[in-house]
Amino acid sequence: MGNNGENVMQKSILSSLAVCALLVAVPAQAADEYAVGLSGAITGPVAGTYAPAVEALRLYIDKVNAAGGVNGHPIHLIVQDDQGQPSMGATNAKKLLGQDNLLLLLNTSLSSTYAPMIAESQRAGVPLLFAASVCPKEVYPPAQPTLFCTTAFASQFDSRATLAFVKEKSGTSINLGLAAMSIPLSRGEIDYAEGLAGEMGMKAVDKEIVPPAAPDYTPFATKLQQASPDWVYSWAPWVTEVKTLEALRKLGWEGNYIGWGHIETEGELARLKDGKFYAIGANALFSDRLPVQQDITATATAANSTYAANLMTEGWIAGMVVEAALKQAGWPATPEKVLAAMSHLKVDTKGLRGGPLEWTADNHFRTRQYYRVYRWNPASNGIEVVKDWTAYEVH
Amino acid sequence: MSEAARRPLLRTALLAAAGLVLLLLPLATTPLLLDLGCQVLLACIGALSLMLLTGFAGQVSLGHAGLLAAGAFTVGILVKEATAPFWVTLPAAAIAGALLGLLFGLPSLRLRALYLAVSSLALHFIVIYLGGEYETLRGLSTGIMVDPPRLFGHELYGGRAWYILLLVVAMAVLLACRNLVRSRTGRAWAAIRAHETVAAALGIAVARHKLLAFVISSAFTALAGGLFAYYRGFVSIEAFSLYLSIQYVAMIIIGGMGSLGGAILGALFVTLFPYGIEAALSTLPHADRYAGAMFASNYAAFGLVMIFFLVFEPQGLIGLWRRWRPASAKAGRP
Amino acid sequence: MQLAVNIVVLAATYALIACGYVLIYRVSRVLNLAHGELMMVGAYLLVTVASASALPPLLAVGLAAALSLGVGVLVHLFLMRRLTGQPALAAVLTTIGLGILLRGLVVLLWSAEQQHPAQSLGLANPPITLFGGGRISTLSLALVLTTGAVYGGLFAFLRFSRWGIRMRAAGQNPLLAAQRGINLNGIYAVAWGLSTFTGSVAGILIALDSGLDTTMATIGLKAFPVALVGGLDSLLGSLLGALIVATAEVVLIQYVDPLLSDVVPFLILMAVLLARPWGLFGSREELDRV
Repeated sequence: MGNNGENVMQKSILSSLAVCALLVAVPAQAADEYAVGLSGAITGPVAGTYAPAVEALRLYIDKVNAAGGVNGHPIHLIVQDDQGQPSMGATNAKKLLGQDNLLLLLNTSLSSTYAPMIAESQRAGVPLLFAASVCPKEVYPPAQPTLFCTTAFASQFDSRATLAFVKEKSGTSINLGLAAMSIPLSRGEIDYAEGLAGEMGMKAVDKEIVPPAAPDYTPFATKLQQASPDWVYSWAPWVTEVKTLEALRKLGWEGNYIGWGHIETEGELARLKDGKFYAIGANALFSDRLPVQQDITATATAANSTYAANLMTEGWIAGMVVEAALKQAGWPATPEKVLAAMSHLKVDTKGLRGGPLEWTADNHFRTRQYYRVYRWNPASNGIEVVKDWTAYEVH
Repeated sequence: MSEAARRPLLRTALLAAAGLVLLLLPLATTPLLLDLGCQVLLACIGALSLMLLTGFAGQVSLGHAGLLAAGAFTVGILVKEATAPFWVTLPAAAIAGALLGLLFGLPSLRLRALYLAVSSLALHFIVIYLGGEYETLRGLSTGIMVDPPRLFGHELYGGRAWYILLLVVAMAVLLACRNLVRSRTGRAWAAIRAHETVAAALGIAVARHKLLAFVISSAFTALAGGLFAYYRGFVSIEAFSLYLSIQYVAMIIIGGMGSLGGAILGALFVTLFPYGIEAALSTLPHADRYAGAMFASNYAAFGLVMIFFLVFEPQGLIGLWRRWRPASAKAGRP
Repeated sequence: MQLAVNIVVLAATYALIACGYVLIYRVSRVLNLAHGELMMVGAYLLVTVASASALPPLLAVGLAAALSLGVGVLVHLFLMRRLTGQPALAAVLTTIGLGILLRGLVVLLWSAEQQHPAQSLGLANPPITLFGGGRISTLSLALVLTTGAVYGGLFAFLRFSRWGIRMRAAGQNPLLAAQRGINLNGIYAVAWGLSTFTGSVAGILIALDSGLDTTMATIGLKAFPVALVGGLDSLLGSLLGALIVATAEVVLIQYVDPLLSDVVPFLILMAVLLARPWGLFGSREELDRV
């Protein structure tokens, strides 16, 4: 048995490598196109968060190309799926960076895929843009030269804006409950919020950390409720935010609840119809009926998209940024030129955000982050803006 | 074996040719194929060590991903906290694995098959819990970055260097496993696997041999985890799900229980399988319309393949291989 | 008081899921690691029934549960039957493969999005205040009552009905049972059907109470230590195991650290297995059969 191991290994590696050569070939792009690569969690357990953004980006690029492209040249978007798995992300980065003259790499996936993609893109000298995925701390000032981020949510800033809103509503002599999911990202943010609440004079009375698959949220909610908080704040994946709220309500708690407004917000506010549930976010909801949102809806309908238009804001913004960066880089573009363009870029978000998205040499997050708070208004039976755009300077 | 004994020259020539081809491969391929090659080699190390434990010593484990994570975190934490060089971190990973193996081998002295598999699940949850605690406490929510190791002043980076390194390690692990299996220890394992009570009656130190299987297998596994951390340049708990453990179990089933060659075939198959499904689906008309269903189809197909082998081909790929080999080569075999 | 309510609800959830593991193990010595996935399939069947028909909620739940019984029988007929005579380990690994297959199929058929069957059925879930001030949602109460009814029914079925007695006989000595003319395949099919049925009822009630997505399968896995703590061949054991694990979990969330709730069932399991490897109520000779 063991002695033919090497034999087996040799033959099988040879044959499988031959198969692979056929399998992984990426169609080569024509020389008159801007080549942009993307690795995203398009399928897999977390696809619900990322796939709509990739779809929106694709629709936006198609629209740009149909209108004649950028500087007279079409954008060629090469999309690869990594299912949110680090190994596949690394493989995709290698695959995409192996292309001739790839100008820009995008990541729309779980944070566990970051490290390999950052390492590969930095070695190749190609800028890496995080779109709809959590902004890594390297994009905040002082930013690493080749990393950029357009994603709405931003650790620490989000909690600052949330607690400022809570303070405005109820002052600082309040009891604050906190809820996170037991993943490092969510826990880190909630720990930060706990410290910040203390500094602001609020009393953080309880902090619950819920595992991803809890059969019943009631035991966690019970402990939160017993601490009798006036407000509960949760910065976690949507399921945890909402199930904690629902369990608290079943226990008869009637306080105010605020959570980060993920892409599901619009539909879920209407489902829950809870007047004391606030969703804070950086993207405008479609209840605004902006011209650009009507444009997104029309494009999504025309393309017969599987995702609702109100899930597409994040990807649309990324598309706007990619277009602007390539336009400024001129033709023919190189990764260096795109990098130079991205380091001094200002993109009009047409109301999808509170203001323009601006990058400088040492700030690749945005110079200003804008927040808005929405809730369901039971009286008018619709979504309403509770607090309009508030700007936070990012230094 | 008898064939090999009769024709040592042919066997040496074959081995040499195999080695040469494997060594020269990096010159002829793209970075992407090299990356796949490296993934296969890492999977080989993990699958060989699981085969040792399950296929030879008969001890079932569902904690394989936990052990890989333990090795990767040992490397990550030592690099992060002490900027330790790889000749410290990798042995440390192996030692951590061995200790965990000892600890979680202890239940095997009382528990059999299924119960043992369950207790190994506990190992997985505990390691992931501890890893998550470390990441959170140190504020490393996107994982621990690990710089490439330095060897004689050179940074070990890129597909070629890693391919060669992993090839050497995989070969070393393969040889070590082969020798172990053929030694007195291997025969003791076979006896324990066949019938524990009889093995004890024959004077085999059952407890000691069981623990030894756990310790050796876990040390190799943690070493693979440590190499993974260096190769990928980072460590995070998300990379070590329960599904990974199942994939390793699938490797040894699909490859063929009780065969080292089977472990290698299984590692190859399971690693490349998703790429194959992806390629197959993308040849269908309107492929992009099914893009969203890719993962689910991949998952479902993987389950089907596992069931197929268990129900119709319990000997695994190695069984198919032996049957398909030309009759002439088979003639000399016992 | 609320603490007691929480313990009872969690224990009922675990017990209702765990009895599925026991039913199959008792008669066929197979550990069904796809139980969580089968339970999820049952819950998703409710989603389909609710969207495809205008049945009143109770009938829709009944129909989905009945369909899940069929699914269990089919699993035995088309898959597990082929593995009779093979080592138990092969059968267990097959159920792992089945679980992966089902997870993929569920996403293909129903997508990975969060579903709210209670909403599409128009089912309200108002909380009820109990004596002593504890609160319980209507559906959680339904879950507790269902668990009681299912266990009562199972005890009666196994003790008094012909099929139940045959099932016990087949579990105790398959060879003898077969010689006495008991149709083993029929018995196994009934066991798989009942197990999937009870699991699906649990899945349906959880989905109605708090929504449904693919993490449901993981909840099924969490109930697995419960069955082992009690002893894999004892229904009474799984009831007690559920109570022990649920108590430990709720008390730890309340007084120690909520983070431990994921690890604790397995730690209790380790402790029990080291002291009494056959579980609290299991039969001792089981160990050598596995």
